[in-house]
Amino acid sequence: MASKAEEKSSYLPIILASGVAIFMLGLAIYFPLLILGLVIIVASVFKLFRDGAKEKFSDDKEVPEEKFPLESVPKEKLGIWIFLASEILIFGSLIIAYAYVRINSGSWPIATETHNVLLGMTNTIILLTSSLAMILALASIRSGNVRELKIALSSAFVLGLAFLVIKLGFEWPDLISKGFTINSGLPASTYYTLTGLHAFHVAAGMVAIGYLMFRTYQGGFTNTKHVGVENVGLYWHFVDIVWMFLFPLFYLI
Amino acid sequence: MAGIKLYVGIWLGLVFATVMEVVVRSLPGSASLFVLIIMLIASAKAIAISLYYQNLRHEGIRLATLPIAAVVGIVFLAVSAALTMTMGM
Repeated sequence: MASKAEEKSSYLPIILASGVAIFMLGLAIYFPLLILGLVIIVASVFKLFRDGAKEKFSDDKEVPEEKFPLESVPKEKLGIWIFLASEILIFGSLIIAYAYVRINSGSWPIATETHNVLLGMTNTIILLTSSLAMILALASIRSGNVRELKIALSSAFVLGLAFLVIKLGFEWPDLISKGFTINSGLPASTYYTLTGLHAFHVAAGMVAIGYLMFRTYQGGFTNTKHVGVENVGLYWHFVDIVWMFLFPLFYLI
Repeated sequence: MAGIKLYVGIWLGLVFATVMEVVVRSLPGSASLFVLIIMLIASAKAIAISLYYQNLRHEGIRLATLPIAAVVGIVFLAVSAALTMTMGM
């Protein structure tokens, strides 16, 4: 049986928002879409007013079931997921800008001739292994094994360091010595911007993992108290996910 | 212990998929097809990490809405960029 809150719920705001999105798209690129968006907006607003007139959404008393939809999610976890959603937008926008520039450029250097595929693949496997180490760290502390937590966190930290050493210590100097500098054109500037931003995120993740190690040695985590390990893990896996797209985009395609 | 075996299994799958990306790139054939296959493999790897390492498969749909909404926004941006290019604007 549907609750009062469910009875009073409506898909109209989502439909209205979609109408606005289509309208804006039409405004930017294709006039018929603008008309379609406008029709959806008008129809949604009309239906909202009609439902409102029927007092579908009103009630004498406040509906007690209504509450913040993510209320059951712990605040720290909700915070990290909102942060990750904003990070998806940052990296997603840059990747799309890269694709846009590349498709519109007349010529582009062949990826496999410019970049070292073997080093790229090695770095990919290193990051995947560091992600495995982070999830094993979480599994360890959940079972109360602090010794395994220390080993797993140290492994994740060392693997992150190995990634940065390969990237900044070998790949970049090699590319720069060949004249592939940030000022040498769009292929280079997009490469350094995206991989540089990613490397910065790896370094930030290492600082967070370093803090977790410090807290672990102070006895800060137990099988019931380990939110920090979980949340830093979420961030670390996200950094891994971003690289899953950067590797093929720059080294293979 | 079962969980650890699963995580190691996922890691093996991800490493195998990475090697497959490189192998696919070295095969002769249509470049567009390779781009499609490689990006599909990359997307599958990203989804696997989200579901198993970030544990989204056990989180409620409401929490998953946050990253999904961001991805939808990026897809919308990509479609807009693609349409702009197609129409030469």
